[in-house]
Amino acid sequence: MAVRVVAAAPLLALLVSSAQQPVPPSVRYGEHVFAGGSPPPAGSLQNPFEGDRQSAAAGEKLFAAFNCDGCHGGGAVGAQGPNLADGRWRYGGGDGAIFHSVYYGRPRGMPAFGGILPPDAIWKLVTYLRTLQPATDEATVSWIR
Amino acid sequence: MRLVATLVVIGSFIVVPPLHHVERGSGGEEFIAVPPLHVVERGPGGEVQQGEGQWTMPAKDYAATRSSGLAAINTGNVQRLRAVWSFSSGVLGGHEGQPLVVNATMYVVTPYPNVLYAFDLTQEGYPLKWKYRPYVSPAAIGMACCDVINRGAVYADGKIVYNLLDGHTVAVDAATGREAWKTTVADVNKGETTPMAPLAVRDRVIVGIAGGEYGVRGWVKGLDLATGRILWTAYNAGPDDDVLARPEVFKPFYDRGADLALKSWPKDAWKTGGAPVWGWLSYDPELDLFYYGTGNPAPYNAEQRPGDNKWATSVLARRPSDGTLVWAYQFTPADNWDYDSVQEMILADLTIKGRTRRVLVHFDKNGFAYTIDRATGEVLVAEPYVPVNWAKRVDLATGRPEVDSSKLTGASHGLVKDICPTLEGGKNQQPAAYSRRTGLFYVPTNNMCMDYQTSEVTYIVGTPFIGLNAPYKPGPGGNLGAFIAWDAAAGRKVWEIREKYPVWSGALVTAGDVVFYGTLDGWFKAADARRGTVLWKFKVGSGVVGNPITFTGADGRQYVAVYAGIGGDWALLSGDVRSDDPADVRPPAAFMPDLARHTSLGGIVWLFAL
Repeated sequence: MAVRVVAAAPLLALLVSSAQQPVPPSVRYGEHVFAGGSPPPAGSLQNPFEGDRQSAAAGEKLFAAFNCDGCHGGGAVGAQGPNLADGRWRYGGGDGAIFHSVYYGRPRGMPAFGGILPPDAIWKLVTYLRTLQPATDEATVSWIR
Repeated sequence: MRLVATLVVIGSFIVVPPLHHVERGSGGEEFIAVPPLHVVERGPGGEVQQGEGQWTMPAKDYAATRSSGLAAINTGNVQRLRAVWSFSSGVLGGHEGQPLVVNATMYVVTPYPNVLYAFDLTQEGYPLKWKYRPYVSPAAIGMACCDVINRGAVYADGKIVYNLLDGHTVAVDAATGREAWKTTVADVNKGETTPMAPLAVRDRVIVGIAGGEYGVRGWVKGLDLATGRILWTAYNAGPDDDVLARPEVFKPFYDRGADLALKSWPKDAWKTGGAPVWGWLSYDPELDLFYYGTGNPAPYNAEQRPGDNKWATSVLARRPSDGTLVWAYQFTPADNWDYDSVQEMILADLTIKGRTRRVLVHFDKNGFAYTIDRATGEVLVAEPYVPVNWAKRVDLATGRPEVDSSKLTGASHGLVKDICPTLEGGKNQQPAAYSRRTGLFYVPTNNMCMDYQTSEVTYIVGTPFIGLNAPYKPGPGGNLGAFIAWDAAAGRKVWEIREKYPVWSGALVTAGDVVFYGTLDGWFKAADARRGTVLWKFKVGSGVVGNPITFTGADGRQYVAVYAGIGGDWALLSGDVRSDDPADVRPPAAFMPDLARHTSLGGIVWLFAL
């Protein structure tokens, strides 16, 4: 499990209230079926920190400081909330879809963090989660020796 | 003792077993009267006491003994026990809790979304009379720390009363399945969830909340059984007025002074200090006291809440009519290890040092088994029932544990190694049973130790308030669990059955001197209550985390019921037992990597008979 090093309290004071931030546009989920084969129009969300190591490290701190690990476990391997490190996603695995999950929340108990975290902080969380993707999807568990 | 008897009439077309006599109604229709099953009597607390054939409250009786007088199944014939019926609940959450059997109907509450099934035990195949499908907010899934379990219902005054996970208590007409009332008791958006089974005493229903991992402020509430109206709220921490501690009534055995539950916390820490109520309640009609244990103080990092943190990790004795606190005792002051004390308080009369004492017996997460005078809160016996190293002993003069300072935790301590037991406890929610025939308590236990590292954590409404990294390892001997028999007067283990995995099911003991329990890898077992030898076992399809019950069927035969359906903490710790979500694949637990070889999630009600 990851070790928590930062508490949220000092960070909360530094963060800009999301009320001052533009609301992110809707995104399209590649996992969804498109009726008539036609994808609906959607906004585009670009992760400004894509692949940036420093941002990922900051995201890891935020993951602990904002209690994400309380549900998703240290290392995001799953606890009461789902595993976020298995490369598989309930609500879409694109950067924009993950951003939306954190910003607006999801109905099965995922809180919406868009009211207390500015978009930059959420993008850092997304960037961190991206670093946890397994190189290959291991679908098989075997007990044969 | 006033007993009110009601004869319940059931329909015709039933194969009448020899035990029953056939009568004719006024219209000439046949009906059968089955005295042990259908005569509903009321005891001094208003509980239904219809003989041994029914199971009307979670732990069988107010004393929480999980002991049945039925003896048709006994040590001489239990080897012939066989599965006679099963039913999928249609739900995959951990199936903790137990069915009720009242008036030839079996009632089953599922985990979230908390469906209530009523099975007609007079018909072949036990078809449903009705099912009740309430709306339960899915937000509760994320606000429940440890799977979306439910610990069961209680029958009272013709109603089935139970909690929905999202902070509601409902009463459903036991005959028709119609909702009688539904009361919002908790705020799920603040992390308050309601998995516990209510207690019904006279015209009161008593409920509490879970949420020690979300910084709730724990309470119990007394509702009017007829209307569901909330009549009183008693917090477990805060000023005396909120705790319902009145100086002329509240007499804790070891503590003196006002506002104990306020002064034992730093300023305002009690407002998010946990002390939830997610376990079992019991009741003594003569003393008119109900007993319950409280969970951990929040957060886990004890350095954020210096002090004893009363009344977290405690037992409290209150009056059911108005919630007045009469006494309280704290098992683990300034809890450093998440040692919740919500485990059942089993009421018994035991001879201790030559004197008969009215006691409650409690197997705490902290590894000690306590025998306590239930009128005063005086600790009479406190001995470890599993390997314990965080404390050397409990000082009976002060009631306080002698803590090993090398096992103290907190953010500044870093990773503290090898603490026994783990935060899963020597025992967790899995309730023990007590047989007056053998004088023994039958206790499902965990045998694990842990390393423990807490960190500074910020309270953010609607998110976890935990801050913990705590890897587990097997305890001494290597077996992760055991089912034991305990002498609570002497404070000693009488026998044990070692189990490969933690024993997370409850226990049932019968007058046939058979004790039943289930295992995490899906075996349902019967053992000799005096010798501790396993006499019978059956693989039920999923790990057992529910509690067996027994009853007399409409045909006069003795049945044993239990849920299969692994979950609860194991849905988190052994997430590899899940197969229901292709987008959520978990690694196995390092300390029990092969559990998923033997079980997956399930949700099955099983019935067994000779």
